[in-house]
Amino acid sequence: MEDEKGLVSRWVLLRVWLRLFLLQASWNFERLQSLGALYVLAPALRVLYRDKDLAEAYRRHLEYFNTHPFMASPVLGAAIALEEERCRGAEGTLGVEEFKGMIMAPYAAMGDGFFWGGLRPLAAAVALFFAAKGSLWAPLVFLTLFNVPHLWIRTFGLWRGYTLGLKVVETLQRHRLPDLAIRLKEGTLVLLGGLCAYLTYRALQGEGESSIWGLSVIPLVALLGWLARRGVSTLMLTMTLAALVLAFVQFG
Amino acid sequence: MSWTDYLIGALIAVVAGLDRTAAFQFMVSRPIVAAPLTGWLLGDASAGLQVGALVELLWLGRLPVGAAIPPDDTQVAVGATVLAIFFAGLTHFAALPAPLVCTLVAMPLGKAGQFFDRAARHWNGRLLHRAQQALAAGKLEEAERSHLLGIGHFAAAAFVTYLVIVGGGSLLLPILAPYFASPVAEASTWLKLAFPLVGTAVLLGTINVSRSLTLFGASFGSALLLLWLV
Repeated sequence: MEDEKGLVSRWVLLRVWLRLFLLQASWNFERLQSLGALYVLAPALRVLYRDKDLAEAYRRHLEYFNTHPFMASPVLGAAIALEEERCRGAEGTLGVEEFKGMIMAPYAAMGDGFFWGGLRPLAAAVALFFAAKGSLWAPLVFLTLFNVPHLWIRTFGLWRGYTLGLKVVETLQRHRLPDLAIRLKEGTLVLLGGLCAYLTYRALQGEGESSIWGLSVIPLVALLGWLARRGVSTLMLTMTLAALVLAFVQFG
Repeated sequence: MSWTDYLIGALIAVVAGLDRTAAFQFMVSRPIVAAPLTGWLLGDASAGLQVGALVELLWLGRLPVGAAIPPDDTQVAVGATVLAIFFAGLTHFAALPAPLVCTLVAMPLGKAGQFFDRAARHWNGRLLHRAQQALAAGKLEEAERSHLLGIGHFAAAAFVTYLVIVGGGSLLLPILAPYFASPVAEASTWLKLAFPLVGTAVLLGTINVSRSLTLFGASFGSALLLLWLV
Protein backbone atom coordinates (compact mmCIF):
# COMPACT_ATOMS: atom_id res chain seq x y z
CA MET A 1 0.00 0.00 0.00
CA GLU A 2 2.83 2.35 0.82
CA ASP A 3 4.15 1.85 -2.69
CA GLU A 4 0.82 2.77 -4.29
CA LYS A 5 -0.22 5.67 -2.11
CA GLY A 6 2.86 6.35 -0.06
CA LEU A 7 1.16 7.44 3.15
CA VAL A 8 -0.83 4.83 5.10
CA SER A 9 1.10 1.60 5.50
CA ARG A 10 -0.32 -1.89 5.84
CA TRP A 11 0.81 -1.93 9.46
CA VAL A 12 -1.30 1.17 10.17
CA LEU A 13 -4.25 -0.39 8.34
CA LEU A 14 -3.83 -3.49 10.51
CA ARG A 15 -4.04 -1.30 13.61
CA VAL A 16 -7.17 0.36 12.21
CA TRP A 17 -8.63 -3.11 11.52
CA LEU A 18 -8.00 -4.27 15.08
CA ARG A 19 -9.58 -1.10 16.45
CA LEU A 20 -12.69 -1.72 14.33
CA PHE A 21 -13.60 -4.50 16.77
CA LEU A 22 -13.94 -1.84 19.49
CA LEU A 23 -15.91 0.66 17.40
CA GLN A 24 -18.91 0.61 19.74
CA ALA A 25 -17.08 0.60 23.10
CA SER A 26 -18.29 4.12 23.92
CA TRP A 27 -21.68 3.94 22.13
CA ASN A 28 -23.85 6.75 23.54
CA PHE A 29 -27.21 8.33 22.84
CA GLU A 30 -25.78 11.72 21.87
CA ARG A 31 -23.53 10.89 18.91
CA LEU A 32 -23.74 7.07 18.89
CA GLN A 33 -20.47 5.77 17.32
CA SER A 34 -18.71 9.11 16.82
CA LEU A 35 -16.01 8.64 19.48
CA GLY A 36 -15.58 5.07 18.24
CA ALA A 37 -15.02 6.26 14.66
CA LEU A 38 -12.38 8.68 15.88
CA TYR A 39 -10.70 5.90 17.89
CA VAL A 40 -10.65 3.61 14.83
CA LEU A 41 -9.29 6.27 12.47
CA ALA A 42 -6.73 7.71 14.92
CA PRO A 43 -3.70 5.60 13.80
CA ALA A 44 -4.23 6.67 10.17
CA LEU A 45 -4.86 10.31 11.09
CA ARG A 46 -1.60 10.38 13.06
CA VAL A 47 0.27 9.30 9.93
CA LEU A 48 -1.42 11.91 7.76
CA TYR A 49 -1.39 14.98 9.97
CA ARG A 50 0.66 16.77 12.61
CA ASP A 51 -0.04 19.32 15.35
CA LYS A 52 -2.99 21.64 14.62
CA ASP A 53 -4.00 19.75 11.49
CA LEU A 54 -4.15 16.54 13.50
CA ALA A 55 -6.32 18.15 16.21
CA GLU A 56 -8.58 19.51 13.49
CA ALA A 57 -8.87 16.04 11.92
CA TYR A 58 -9.75 14.57 15.32
CA ARG A 59 -12.51 17.14 15.78
CA ARG A 60 -13.77 16.44 12.26
CA HIS A 61 -14.34 12.77 13.11
CA LEU A 62 -15.96 13.42 16.46
CA GLU A 63 -19.14 14.50 14.69
CA TYR A 64 -22.25 12.30 14.75
CA PHE A 65 -21.62 8.89 13.22
CA ASN A 66 -23.74 5.76 13.18
CA THR A 67 -23.81 2.79 10.88
CA HIS A 68 -23.87 -0.98 11.14
CA PRO A 69 -20.72 -1.99 13.09
CA PHE A 70 -19.54 -4.38 10.36
CA MET A 71 -20.36 -2.01 7.49
CA ALA A 72 -18.27 0.66 9.20
CA SER A 73 -15.22 -1.07 7.67
CA PRO A 74 -15.75 0.08 4.07
CA VAL A 75 -17.03 3.49 5.23
CA LEU A 76 -14.02 4.19 7.43
CA GLY A 77 -11.62 2.64 4.89
CA ALA A 78 -12.90 5.10 2.30
CA ALA A 79 -12.73 7.89 4.89
CA ILE A 80 -8.98 7.19 5.28
CA ALA A 81 -8.58 7.38 1.50
CA LEU A 82 -10.40 10.73 1.44
CA GLU A 83 -8.31 12.04 4.32
CA GLU A 84 -5.23 11.03 2.36
CA GLU A 85 -6.47 13.00 -0.65
CA ARG A 86 -7.11 16.00 1.55
CA CYS A 87 -3.68 15.69 3.10
CA ARG A 88 -2.13 15.76 -0.38
CA GLY A 89 -4.24 18.75 -1.36
CA ALA A 90 -6.07 16.67 -3.97
CA GLU A 91 -9.50 16.76 -2.33
CA GLY A 92 -12.38 16.02 -4.71
CA THR A 93 -15.86 17.50 -4.76
CA LEU A 94 -16.98 15.32 -1.87
CA GLY A 95 -15.29 15.89 1.49
CA VAL A 96 -14.82 13.18 4.08
CA GLU A 97 -17.54 14.63 6.37
CA GLU A 98 -20.05 14.73 3.51
CA PHE A 99 -19.13 11.20 2.44
CA LYS A 100 -19.57 9.76 5.95
CA GLY A 101 -22.82 11.66 6.46
CA MET A 102 -24.19 10.55 3.11
CA ILE A 103 -23.25 6.88 3.27
CA MET A 104 -23.68 5.83 6.91
CA ALA A 105 -27.49 5.53 6.90
CA PRO A 106 -27.83 3.40 3.72
CA TYR A 107 -24.98 1.17 4.88
CA ALA A 108 -26.60 0.85 8.30
CA ALA A 109 -29.83 -0.28 6.64
CA MET A 110 -27.95 -2.77 4.45
CA GLY A 111 -25.96 -4.17 7.37
CA ASP A 112 -28.96 -4.42 9.68
CA GLY A 113 -30.98 -6.23 7.04
CA PHE A 114 -28.21 -8.60 5.99
CA PHE A 115 -26.37 -9.40 9.22
CA TRP A 116 -29.00 -8.93 11.96
CA GLY A 117 -32.13 -9.67 9.96
CA GLY A 118 -30.82 -12.32 7.55
CA LEU A 119 -27.60 -14.08 8.44
CA ARG A 120 -27.99 -14.28 12.22
CA PRO A 121 -31.45 -15.93 12.18
CA LEU A 122 -30.32 -18.31 9.43
CA ALA A 123 -27.22 -19.36 11.40
CA ALA A 124 -29.38 -19.76 14.52
CA ALA A 125 -31.95 -21.89 12.69
CA VAL A 126 -29.25 -24.24 11.36
CA ALA A 127 -27.56 -24.44 14.78
CA LEU A 128 -30.89 -25.23 16.47
CA PHE A 129 -31.19 -28.41 14.38
CA PHE A 130 -27.93 -29.57 15.97
CA ALA A 131 -29.16 -28.47 19.41
CA ALA A 132 -32.42 -30.38 18.90
CA LYS A 133 -30.36 -33.54 18.46
CA GLY A 134 -28.38 -32.69 21.60
CA SER A 135 -25.20 -32.05 19.62
CA LEU A 136 -22.65 -29.71 21.14
CA TRP A 137 -21.59 -28.75 17.61
CA ALA A 138 -24.52 -26.30 17.65
CA PRO A 139 -22.54 -23.30 18.98
CA LEU A 140 -19.65 -23.97 16.62
CA VAL A 141 -21.96 -24.27 13.63
CA PHE A 142 -23.58 -20.96 14.56
CA LEU A 143 -20.26 -19.16 15.06
CA THR A 144 -18.82 -20.47 11.78
CA LEU A 145 -21.87 -19.62 9.66
CA PHE A 146 -22.08 -16.12 11.10
CA ASN A 147 -18.43 -15.16 11.35
CA VAL A 148 -17.18 -16.11 7.89
CA PRO A 149 -19.19 -13.32 6.18
CA HIS A 150 -18.70 -11.08 9.22
CA LEU A 151 -14.90 -11.25 9.14
CA TRP A 152 -14.90 -11.05 5.35
CA ILE A 153 -16.72 -7.69 5.35
CA ARG A 154 -14.65 -6.39 8.28
CA THR A 155 -11.38 -7.25 6.55
CA PHE A 156 -11.97 -6.76 2.84
CA GLY A 157 -14.41 -3.93 3.49
CA LEU A 158 -11.65 -1.88 5.10
CA TRP A 159 -9.13 -2.84 2.44
CA ARG A 160 -11.43 -2.13 -0.48
CA GLY A 161 -12.65 1.06 1.15
CA TYR A 162 -9.10 2.34 1.43
CA THR A 163 -7.94 1.23 -2.01
CA LEU A 164 -11.07 2.28 -3.91
CA GLY A 165 -12.11 5.37 -1.98
CA LEU A 166 -15.49 6.63 -3.16
CA LYS A 167 -15.75 3.78 -5.69
CA VAL A 168 -16.27 1.32 -2.85
CA VAL A 169 -19.95 2.31 -3.00
CA GLU A 170 -20.28 0.85 -6.51
CA THR A 171 -18.40 -2.30 -5.49
CA LEU A 172 -20.75 -2.96 -2.59
CA GLN A 173 -23.77 -2.24 -4.75
CA ARG A 174 -22.68 -5.07 -7.03
CA HIS A 175 -23.00 -7.52 -4.12
CA ARG A 176 -26.72 -6.67 -3.83
CA LEU A 177 -26.84 -7.22 -0.08
CA PRO A 178 -30.53 -6.24 0.31
CA ASP A 179 -31.57 -8.92 -2.21
CA LEU A 180 -29.31 -11.45 -0.53
CA ALA A 181 -30.85 -10.54 2.85
CA ILE A 182 -34.34 -11.35 1.53
CA ARG A 183 -33.12 -14.76 0.29
CA LEU A 184 -31.56 -15.48 3.67
CA LYS A 185 -34.77 -14.55 5.46
CA GLU A 186 -36.81 -16.78 3.18
CA GLY A 187 -34.37 -19.62 3.81
CA THR A 188 -34.66 -19.03 7.55
CA LEU A 189 -38.45 -19.32 7.42
CA VAL A 190 -38.23 -22.62 5.53
CA LEU A 191 -35.67 -23.97 8.02
CA LEU A 192 -37.76 -22.85 11.00
CA GLY A 193 -40.79 -24.55 9.49
CA GLY A 194 -38.86 -27.80 9.32
CA LEU A 195 -37.42 -27.36 12.81
CA CYS A 196 -40.79 -26.61 14.41
CA ALA A 197 -42.34 -29.58 12.58
CA TYR A 198 -39.62 -31.89 13.91
CA LEU A 199 -39.98 -30.57 17.48
CA THR A 200 -43.78 -30.84 17.31
CA TYR A 201 -43.61 -34.37 15.90
CA ARG A 202 -41.18 -35.40 18.65
CA ALA A 203 -43.40 -33.90 21.37
CA LEU A 204 -46.53 -35.62 20.04
CA GLN A 205 -44.71 -38.95 19.74
CA GLY A 206 -43.41 -38.55 23.29
CA GLU A 207 -46.92 -37.96 24.61
CA GLY A 208 -48.41 -40.78 22.52
CA GLU A 209 -50.60 -38.43 20.46
CA SER A 210 -51.31 -38.63 16.73
CA SER A 211 -48.80 -36.65 14.67
CA ILE A 212 -51.53 -35.12 12.56
CA TRP A 213 -52.50 -32.91 15.52
CA GLY A 214 -49.27 -31.10 14.80
CA LEU A 215 -50.94 -29.20 11.97
CA SER A 216 -52.75 -27.15 14.62
CA VAL A 217 -49.41 -25.50 15.35
CA ILE A 218 -49.63 -23.42 12.14
CA PRO A 219 -52.69 -21.36 13.25
CA LEU A 220 -51.18 -21.11 16.75
CA VAL A 221 -47.94 -19.66 15.37
CA ALA A 222 -49.94 -17.33 13.09
CA LEU A 223 -51.92 -16.09 16.10
CA LEU A 224 -48.79 -15.55 18.19
CA GLY A 225 -47.11 -13.76 15.28
CA TRP A 226 -50.14 -11.50 14.88
CA LEU A 227 -50.04 -10.68 18.61
CA ALA A 228 -46.30 -9.93 18.33
CA ARG A 229 -47.00 -7.55 15.44
CA ARG A 230 -49.67 -5.88 17.60
CA GLY A 231 -46.96 -5.07 20.15
CA VAL A 232 -47.41 -7.89 22.68
CA SER A 233 -43.94 -8.54 24.12
CA THR A 234 -42.09 -11.81 23.75
CA LEU A 235 -41.91 -12.12 27.52
CA MET A 236 -45.68 -11.74 27.82
CA LEU A 237 -46.32 -14.25 25.02
CA THR A 238 -43.96 -16.84 26.53
CA MET A 239 -45.29 -16.49 30.06
CA THR A 240 -48.92 -16.56 28.93
CA LEU A 241 -48.39 -19.62 26.75
CA ALA A 242 -46.47 -21.35 29.56
CA ALA A 243 -49.30 -20.58 32.01
CA LEU A 244 -51.90 -21.91 29.52
CA VAL A 245 -49.88 -25.09 28.99
CA LEU A 246 -49.54 -25.60 32.75
CA ALA A 247 -53.25 -25.02 33.27
CA PHE A 248 -54.17 -27.35 30.42
CA VAL A 249 -51.94 -30.15 31.69
CA GLN A 250 -53.23 -29.76 35.25
CA PHE A 251 -56.92 -29.43 34.51
CA GLY A 252 -57.25 -30.69 30.96
CA MET B 1 -21.41 -25.30 43.14
CA SER B 2 -18.68 -23.22 44.72
CA TRP B 3 -18.00 -19.47 44.65
CA THR B 4 -15.46 -20.19 41.93
CA ASP B 5 -18.26 -21.49 39.71
CA TYR B 6 -20.30 -18.33 40.30
CA LEU B 7 -17.23 -16.28 39.41
CA ILE B 8 -16.72 -18.29 36.22
CA GLY B 9 -20.36 -17.57 35.39
CA ALA B 10 -19.76 -13.86 36.08
CA LEU B 11 -16.69 -13.86 33.86
CA ILE B 12 -18.63 -15.38 30.96
CA ALA B 13 -21.47 -12.93 31.63
CA VAL B 14 -19.06 -9.99 31.29
CA VAL B 15 -17.22 -11.32 28.21
CA ALA B 16 -20.45 -12.26 26.44
CA GLY B 17 -22.05 -9.00 27.60
CA LEU B 18 -19.24 -7.02 25.96
CA ASP B 19 -19.63 -9.07 22.79
CA ARG B 20 -23.25 -7.88 22.50
CA THR B 21 -22.32 -4.29 21.66
CA ALA B 22 -19.02 -2.96 22.93
CA ALA B 23 -16.38 -5.34 21.62
CA PHE B 24 -15.78 -7.87 18.83
CA GLN B 25 -19.40 -8.94 18.16
CA PHE B 26 -18.41 -12.45 17.16
CA MET B 27 -21.86 -13.43 18.54
CA VAL B 28 -20.46 -15.36 21.48
CA SER B 29 -23.25 -13.44 23.19
CA ARG B 30 -25.99 -15.42 21.44
CA PRO B 31 -27.77 -17.80 23.84
CA ILE B 32 -26.98 -20.81 21.62
CA VAL B 33 -23.27 -20.08 22.20
CA ALA B 34 -23.10 -18.38 25.62
CA ALA B 35 -25.26 -20.92 27.47
CA PRO B 36 -23.45 -24.11 26.30
CA LEU B 37 -20.12 -22.36 26.92
CA THR B 38 -21.21 -21.56 30.48
CA GLY B 39 -22.47 -25.10 30.98
CA TRP B 40 -19.26 -26.60 29.60
CA LEU B 41 -17.07 -24.51 31.90
CA LEU B 42 -19.27 -25.44 34.89
CA GLY B 43 -19.26 -29.13 34.05
CA ASP B 44 -22.70 -29.58 32.43
CA ALA B 45 -22.67 -28.52 28.79
CA SER B 46 -25.94 -30.33 28.14
CA ALA B 47 -27.85 -28.09 30.59
CA GLY B 48 -26.38 -25.05 28.83
CA LEU B 49 -27.35 -26.41 25.42
CA GLN B 50 -30.94 -26.91 26.60
CA VAL B 51 -31.14 -23.35 27.97
CA GLY B 52 -29.53 -21.95 24.80
CA ALA B 53 -32.00 -23.80 22.56
CA LEU B 54 -34.95 -22.49 24.62
CA VAL B 55 -33.84 -18.85 24.61
CA GLU B 56 -32.15 -18.46 21.21
CA LEU B 57 -35.18 -17.71 19.05
CA LEU B 58 -37.16 -15.64 21.54
CA TRP B 59 -35.65 -12.20 20.91
CA LEU B 60 -33.79 -12.97 17.69
CA GLY B 61 -36.19 -10.73 15.78
CA ARG B 62 -35.40 -7.71 17.98
CA LEU B 63 -32.63 -5.98 16.07
CA PRO B 64 -30.09 -3.65 17.74
CA VAL B 65 -30.88 -0.89 15.25
CA GLY B 66 -30.01 2.74 16.02
CA ALA B 67 -30.86 3.60 19.61
CA ALA B 68 -33.04 0.49 20.16
CA ILE B 69 -31.87 -1.81 22.96
CA PRO B 70 -33.13 -5.39 22.66
CA PRO B 71 -33.84 -7.45 25.83
CA ASP B 72 -30.68 -8.98 27.29
CA ASP B 73 -31.05 -12.59 26.19
CA THR B 74 -27.32 -13.12 26.78
CA GLN B 75 -27.58 -12.67 30.54
CA VAL B 76 -30.85 -14.62 30.63
CA ALA B 77 -29.04 -17.55 28.98
CA VAL B 78 -25.90 -17.36 31.14
CA GLY B 79 -27.84 -16.75 34.37
CA ALA B 80 -30.38 -19.52 33.69
CA THR B 81 -27.55 -21.98 32.98
CA VAL B 82 -25.76 -21.13 36.23
CA LEU B 83 -29.04 -21.47 38.14
CA ALA B 84 -29.91 -24.76 36.39
CA ILE B 85 -26.56 -26.32 37.24
CA PHE B 86 -26.76 -25.11 40.84
CA PHE B 87 -30.31 -26.34 41.47
CA ALA B 88 -29.84 -29.64 39.62
CA GLY B 89 -27.11 -30.39 42.17
CA LEU B 90 -29.48 -30.07 45.14
CA THR B 91 -31.17 -33.35 46.08
CA HIS B 92 -34.61 -31.89 46.88
CA PHE B 93 -34.71 -30.26 43.43
CA ALA B 94 -33.57 -33.41 41.61
CA ALA B 95 -36.99 -34.05 40.00
CA LEU B 96 -37.15 -30.52 38.63
CA PRO B 97 -36.55 -29.97 34.87
CA ALA B 98 -33.93 -27.44 35.92
CA PRO B 99 -33.05 -25.78 32.56
CA LEU B 100 -36.74 -25.17 31.82
CA VAL B 101 -37.70 -23.83 35.25
CA CYS B 102 -34.60 -21.67 35.57
CA THR B 103 -35.19 -20.16 32.12
CA LEU B 104 -38.78 -19.30 33.08
CA VAL B 105 -37.52 -17.60 36.24
CA ALA B 106 -34.59 -15.84 34.55
CA MET B 107 -36.65 -14.33 31.73
CA PRO B 108 -38.56 -11.68 33.72
CA LEU B 109 -35.45 -10.93 35.80
CA GLY B 110 -33.56 -10.32 32.56
CA LYS B 111 -35.66 -7.20 31.94
CA ALA B 112 -33.19 -5.50 34.29
CA GLY B 113 -30.58 -5.90 31.55
CA GLN B 114 -32.23 -3.30 29.33
CA PHE B 115 -32.21 -0.81 32.20
CA PHE B 116 -28.51 -1.31 32.97
CA ASP B 117 -27.57 -1.30 29.28
CA ARG B 118 -29.37 2.02 28.84
CA ALA B 119 -27.57 3.39 31.92
CA ALA B 120 -24.18 2.33 30.47
CA ARG B 121 -24.95 4.20 27.25
CA HIS B 122 -25.92 7.31 29.23
CA TRP B 123 -22.63 7.12 31.15
CA ASN B 124 -20.84 6.86 27.84
CA GLY B 125 -22.29 10.27 26.96
CA ARG B 126 -19.99 11.69 29.65
CA LEU B 127 -17.04 10.09 27.90
CA LEU B 128 -17.93 12.00 24.75
CA HIS B 129 -17.83 15.29 26.68
CA ARG B 130 -14.58 14.24 28.29
CA ALA B 131 -13.09 13.53 24.86
CA GLN B 132 -14.29 16.93 23.58
CA GLN B 133 -12.64 18.66 26.54
CA ALA B 134 -9.44 16.68 25.99
CA LEU B 135 -9.39 17.72 22.33
CA ALA B 136 -9.95 21.36 23.27
CA ALA B 137 -6.96 21.08 25.60
CA GLY B 138 -4.89 19.46 22.86
CA LYS B 139 -4.69 16.11 24.68
CA LEU B 140 -5.35 13.82 21.76
CA GLU B 141 -4.32 10.56 23.41
CA GLU B 142 -6.63 11.24 26.34
CA ALA B 143 -9.51 11.66 23.88
CA GLU B 144 -8.73 8.19 22.50
CA ARG B 145 -8.49 6.70 25.99
CA SER B 146 -11.94 8.10 26.85
CA HIS B 147 -13.38 5.78 24.26
CA LEU B 148 -11.95 2.68 25.91
CA LEU B 149 -13.47 3.59 29.29
CA GLY B 150 -16.85 2.73 27.79
CA ILE B 151 -15.87 -0.94 27.95
CA GLY B 152 -15.94 -0.63 31.74
CA HIS B 153 -19.48 0.74 31.64
CA PHE B 154 -20.78 -2.07 29.44
CA ALA B 155 -18.92 -4.67 31.54
CA ALA B 156 -20.48 -3.25 34.72
CA ALA B 157 -23.95 -3.38 33.15
CA ALA B 158 -23.47 -7.02 32.16
CA PHE B 159 -22.15 -7.96 35.60
CA VAL B 160 -24.99 -6.27 37.50
CA THR B 161 -27.58 -7.92 35.23
CA TYR B 162 -25.96 -11.30 35.90
CA LEU B 163 -26.13 -10.57 39.65
CA VAL B 164 -29.82 -9.67 39.44
CA ILE B 165 -30.66 -12.86 37.54
CA VAL B 166 -28.55 -15.28 39.58
CA GLY B 167 -29.27 -13.55 42.91
CA GLY B 168 -32.97 -13.09 42.21
CA GLY B 169 -33.29 -16.61 40.84
CA SER B 170 -31.53 -18.11 43.86
CA LEU B 171 -34.05 -16.36 46.11
CA LEU B 172 -37.14 -17.10 44.01
CA LEU B 173 -36.55 -20.72 43.03
CA PRO B 174 -36.68 -22.23 46.54
CA ILE B 175 -39.95 -20.33 47.13
CA LEU B 176 -41.58 -21.22 43.80
CA ALA B 177 -40.23 -24.75 43.31
CA PRO B 178 -42.51 -26.53 45.84
CA TYR B 179 -45.57 -25.19 43.97
CA PHE B 180 -44.35 -25.52 40.41
CA ALA B 181 -41.93 -28.44 40.38
CA SER B 182 -44.51 -31.13 39.79
CA PRO B 183 -46.75 -29.29 37.25
CA VAL B 184 -43.73 -28.10 35.27
CA ALA B 185 -42.27 -31.62 35.21
CA GLU B 186 -45.60 -32.99 33.92
CA ALA B 187 -45.92 -30.32 31.26
CA SER B 188 -42.23 -30.16 30.35
CA THR B 189 -42.68 -31.70 26.87
CA TRP B 190 -45.19 -29.01 25.86
CA LEU B 191 -43.35 -26.20 27.62
CA LYS B 192 -40.13 -27.07 25.77
CA LEU B 193 -42.09 -26.86 22.53
CA ALA B 194 -43.69 -23.53 23.50
CA PHE B 195 -40.37 -21.64 23.53
CA PRO B 196 -39.32 -22.24 19.89
CA LEU B 197 -42.91 -21.73 18.74
CA VAL B 198 -43.11 -18.31 20.41
CA GLY B 199 -39.67 -17.40 19.05
CA THR B 200 -40.64 -18.46 15.55
CA ALA B 201 -43.94 -16.59 15.77
CA VAL B 202 -42.23 -13.38 16.87
CA LEU B 203 -39.71 -13.77 14.05
CA LEU B 204 -42.56 -14.31 11.58
CA GLY B 205 -44.19 -11.14 12.86
CA THR B 206 -41.07 -9.04 12.45
CA ILE B 207 -39.03 -10.55 9.59
CA ASN B 208 -40.54 -8.33 6.90
CA VAL B 209 -40.76 -10.91 4.13
CA SER B 210 -43.83 -11.12 1.90
CA ARG B 211 -45.70 -14.42 2.25
CA SER B 212 -43.69 -15.32 5.35
CA LEU B 213 -46.54 -17.38 6.82
CA THR B 214 -46.95 -19.23 3.52
CA LEU B 215 -43.27 -20.18 3.46
CA PHE B 216 -43.32 -21.26 7.10
CA GLY B 217 -46.63 -23.11 6.79
CA ALA B 218 -45.60 -24.96 3.62
CA SER B 219 -42.30 -26.00 5.14
CA PHE B 220 -43.90 -26.99 8.45
CA GLY B 221 -46.73 -28.91 6.81
CA SER B 222 -44.56 -30.81 4.37
CA ALA B 223 -41.97 -31.72 7.03
CA LEU B 224 -44.63 -32.87 9.49
CA LEU B 225 -46.43 -34.94 6.87
CA LEU B 226 -43.16 -36.52 5.76
CA LEU B 227 -42.31 -37.41 9.35
CA TRP B 228 -45.80 -38.86 9.73
CA LEU B 229 -45.42 -40.96 6.57
CA VAL B 230 -41.96 -42.30 7.41
